[in-house]
Amino acid sequence: MAQGLRIDILCCNYTNLAEREDFYEVPVEIEIKRFPCGGHIEVTDILRALRLGASGVMVCACEKGTCHNGKGNERAEKKVLSARNILQEIGMEPERITFYFVPRLDAESFVEDLKEFYKKLLELKIKERSR
Amino acid sequence: MEVKSHLQRVLSSGQLAVTAEIGPPRNADPEVIKRKAKLLKGYVDAVNITDCQTAIVRISSIASAILVMAEGLEPVAQMTCRDRNRIGIQADLLGASALGIRNLLCLTGDHPKFGNHPMAKPVFDLDSLQLLKLVRDLEEGYFANGEEIKGRKPQFFRGAAENPFAEPYYIRAYRLAKKIKAGAQFIQTQIIYNVDRFREFMEDCERLGLLDKVYILAGITPPKSVGMAKYMKYHVPGLDVPDEIIKRLEGAKDVREEGINIAVELIQRIKDIPGVKGFHIMAIEWEEAVPEIVKRAGLYPRPEYEVPIYPFVVERVVERPVEMVVEKVIEKVVEKPVEVIVEKEIEKPIEVYIEKAITELEEGMAKGQISLESFIEILANLKAGLKQIKAGMDSVEETIEILEQEFFGKGKPTKVELKEVPKVEEKEKIKPQVQPEIKEKVEVKKEAEVKPEEEKIAPEPIAEVKPEAKGEKKPEVKPETKPEEKREESAEKGPEVKPEVKPEVKPEVKPEVKAEGKLEVKTRLFKGTYRPLSERAKKVPESAYLDRATGEIQEVVIGKDGKAIKVGGAKALNFHYFEGELPNSIQIAYEILDIKPEDWPESLAKYYQDVWHDPALWAKKCVEEYGASAICLYLLGTDPNGLNLPANHAIEVVKKVTSAVDVPLIVWGSGNAEKDVEVLREVSEIVGPRGAVIGPVVDTNHRTLGAVAMGYGIPVIASSPIDVNLAKQLNILLENIGVSLDKILMDPSIGALGYGIEYTFSVMERIRLAALYGQDTKLACPFICSIGKEVWKTKEASLPTDETFGDQEERGVLMEALTAVTLAMAGGDLLIMRHPVAVKLCYTLFNSLSQA
Amino acid sequence: MIIAERRPLPEILANLSPYKKILVLGCRGCVAVCSAGGDREVAILAEAIRLARERQGSPVEVYEEILIRQCDPEYLQPLAEWMSKIEAVVSMACGVGVNLIADLYPSLRVYPGVDTTFYGANVALGEWVEKCRGCGDCIIDQTAGLCPIARCAKNLLNGPCGGSQGGKCEVRKDMPCVWHLIIDRLKERGELERLLEITPPKDWRPAGGDGLRVRKRPDLTLS
Repeated sequence: MAQGLRIDILCCNYTNLAEREDFYEVPVEIEIKRFPCGGHIEVTDILRALRLGASGVMVCACEKGTCHNGKGNERAEKKVLSARNILQEIGMEPERITFYFVPRLDAESFVEDLKEFYKKLLELKIKERSR
Repeated sequence: MEVKSHLQRVLSSGQLAVTAEIGPPRNADPEVIKRKAKLLKGYVDAVNITDCQTAIVRISSIASAILVMAEGLEPVAQMTCRDRNRIGIQADLLGASALGIRNLLCLTGDHPKFGNHPMAKPVFDLDSLQLLKLVRDLEEGYFANGEEIKGRKPQFFRGAAENPFAEPYYIRAYRLAKKIKAGAQFIQTQIIYNVDRFREFMEDCERLGLLDKVYILAGITPPKSVGMAKYMKYHVPGLDVPDEIIKRLEGAKDVREEGINIAVELIQRIKDIPGVKGFHIMAIEWEEAVPEIVKRAGLYPRPEYEVPIYPFVVERVVERPVEMVVEKVIEKVVEKPVEVIVEKEIEKPIEVYIEKAITELEEGMAKGQISLESFIEILANLKAGLKQIKAGMDSVEETIEILEQEFFGKGKPTKVELKEVPKVEEKEKIKPQVQPEIKEKVEVKKEAEVKPEEEKIAPEPIAEVKPEAKGEKKPEVKPETKPEEKREESAEKGPEVKPEVKPEVKPEVKPEVKAEGKLEVKTRLFKGTYRPLSERAKKVPESAYLDRATGEIQEVVIGKDGKAIKVGGAKALNFHYFEGELPNSIQIAYEILDIKPEDWPESLAKYYQDVWHDPALWAKKCVEEYGASAICLYLLGTDPNGLNLPANHAIEVVKKVTSAVDVPLIVWGSGNAEKDVEVLREVSEIVGPRGAVIGPVVDTNHRTLGAVAMGYGIPVIASSPIDVNLAKQLNILLENIGVSLDKILMDPSIGALGYGIEYTFSVMERIRLAALYGQDTKLACPFICSIGKEVWKTKEASLPTDETFGDQEERGVLMEALTAVTLAMAGGDLLIMRHPVAVKLCYTLFNSLSQA
Repeated sequence: MIIAERRPLPEILANLSPYKKILVLGCRGCVAVCSAGGDREVAILAEAIRLARERQGSPVEVYEEILIRQCDPEYLQPLAEWMSKIEAVVSMACGVGVNLIADLYPSLRVYPGVDTTFYGANVALGEWVEKCRGCGDCIIDQTAGLCPIARCAKNLLNGPCGGSQGGKCEVRKDMPCVWHLIIDRLKERGELERLLEITPPKDWRPAGGDGLRVRKRPDLTLS
């Protein structure tokens, strides 16, 4: 919040059960949107999140082979690729969108991934300022 | 080093430049281009060579340009985007520059649809603007992909075309600006007739400041006929022909003369428009008009500069064909004898010439210098000449001599000479009275005989005799005294006849006198110079020259019942009576048109203008007055490029003609494949039952027309463009659909004297040799040659009488007769002709030959 | 079906830069089936335009509409209602749709959202391959159902050329040599002798060489 950053997390309903207190180490505004399945996350959702103020979008889906619906997680990964291509085309940093396979019920690793993404976004922000 | 083209120098010197245009031929004959180049040399600064204009296959622009350069004339090569992609274009441009071509006109090109290969894939990888830029980039050292040219860069004086008359007008000057921006250094405009609109265009250009940046050459085309002017007005998009031009032509006595006048006037008017730096004179299929226009427009003489040094490559390319050993052998051997034949008709010493050749050969053989094979070959080629001698040196030579003497004047007034020709006609007519039944054949022979007589009896008076003929035709003009004098000199010839003739005006009056002459002539025939071939060739074994044909030509019957004529059936080359049977003599059909002819010269028109409003009367006149044994009805009016009259019109005309005359009929369509199907199908219904020939049938309509002809069992004219293989292919196609070979007449698409006759001759000869000696049965069909059409559209046939060219009528008659005789020797079996005097001349020759 | 592919966004955005009210118009015909211009693609493009313009500081109103087809005047009628609300249309239909909109609504600024690429088949999920070039004169009765016009880089009618190696085309190694396939197929059918015939040059007029191609069914036209 100090840095004025906001991260939107789009994830599968099953992927994690992390709560607000799990994120205390990440000092940014966080919005979590849960979808019935990773396969249900659309490119549009990712782009819209960015348009509505998110500095970055983190898409999470279950680890490979564990998708409740078969291949929803893999679809989510492809959607992220597609969204990143669009960012590239319109002159935004594709790094603003990231994707993680997250083990179910393991909030810790999920938070680790978030931290990593947060650092990247910070770097981007610094670059932006120095320009 | 920059080498400026001649055109560029003229333009940069501030003088008005003149360019013209040459359309290369649709065959591999370099002579056509050379001839046209010679015609234009000295009158223009450079000449455009079209790049397959209207998308019809021709010799390529660059190759033609080299041929033109060899004649000392600077070419402007044209490059279109239709046939090559950017690879082909760049390759050709490098080549053109390497060969020394310095001027280049960049065009988008006509779509293949307008040409003779409409199914071809159109390329258009670039357009004219991109092409201009590409050329400039090449000159600056870069290929179209940006790669650098290492080494010598091409160099061109870059031109483009612009049409001030295309719509919308306001965009034209901007488009020109774009072309200049892309690299155009000179512009040749579309044909201008509407000077006001062109002036507006030039004002637009001035406003945009273009006039200092580019040389604009105004496009000028002399209208050759009313039909052409109308065609340009109604069928060529973006060409503005004001009505007054058409009216002027319609009102003109001599359309071509008026066309040249129009062109000259246009030049005078356009000259002073600011920004006009020269003229591009496009005399389409009428290159002869260019020198005249240039002279009259005050643009002659053209400036001369030091001849630019062209790369050595050019010369080599030009010389190679001459050096080719094979060609040399063939040409020398073949040409000499062929020339002999032609010359015979013109010059006296032919006989000596041939004898000399024979003695030379004999000597050569004796010394063993000449192999038997080559000897046989040479003899074979000489055959035509030998035959003719055998056939009757005296009559032939003397006949021609008379004409020749008259033609070259021999100090006697030209007008007098002219009239002689008509006389011949009259003589023929007389004969019917003497031998009413036999009519034509007999008459003709007698005539042939008569002519020599006249010469021999009173060589000097000939000129005088001629005046008599005139008197007959135009009684008022000629003094009566002349005829009298003649009578005195050649007392035997009926003096009374002349007076009689005058009142009648028409040539028929003379008959009695001539009949007498004929009888006398007979005794003199072959007197003196004639020695039989067997005697002259007695040192040569017969086996060395006698070469009997192994094949025979199909006999085609035209018409039905008693009036039917037969053509073909030959078992030897035409006139080779000593080699085989020639059962049917050469037939001549009179040509009539379905509409009033527009561009016939006075010398031809006068025989028909009283009847040409009605094809029936016309046909009747040909048959009854001129003794035509067949009529060829040319349906010119149905031509989609002309009046485009419907099939109904043709039906009416054909009905009229069929009811007026009963001689065999040849119905010749417009030559437009699609329209002919439409018209001839209908026409066949009428002429089919009575027997006729229909045509021309070409590869694109052979199925329908072939089927129609089969339905009525009538022969067709298989028309192909001067090519052995195409002719054969068409015959095969027709045979495949069931038309038997004895129902086919081959039309090899002939050229008139001076307009490709040598090429026609060689093709026809090859076809005939293949048929007779090569066992090629698919080519063993008789030839039909449409001679009148070709001859009477030439410039020479219609130029007015003057001192250099002599009398108009005599010239035309000789042109037609010589064309006919030449093609008859090449194998022509059925000739279509127009001028009655020319027809008589031909019959005279043919009959005297066959008699011998 | 007609295959298309979304045009690069910078080009679409450049075309749209003067406008503030834009309609992204999809088509449920071929382009929907080949995932180039259906509902989902319209939504993505609309969102991408909004995002890009937002970042450029010139926000834009983007509307979305999907028509059943854009190659039929009747189906384009809804556009009339949009005329007053929008300044420009990005059509995600094939080129036919874009042209027809321009014909019917001359005052409307219409821009192509996709490049129309070829006639192809959906051979696998997310993969479309050209099978026909619409040359107007079908010859695949001669070639065992495989089209050399569409599938040979040189359009050979008497193939294969010398560049066929291991069943692959020399022009692109990922491309099977169609003449190799044709030969295999003919061999299986026992019709190899077909290859002995020389196929004559093609008439390119039906392929568009003659200009605008028109098809008419007089029995269907009503006055």
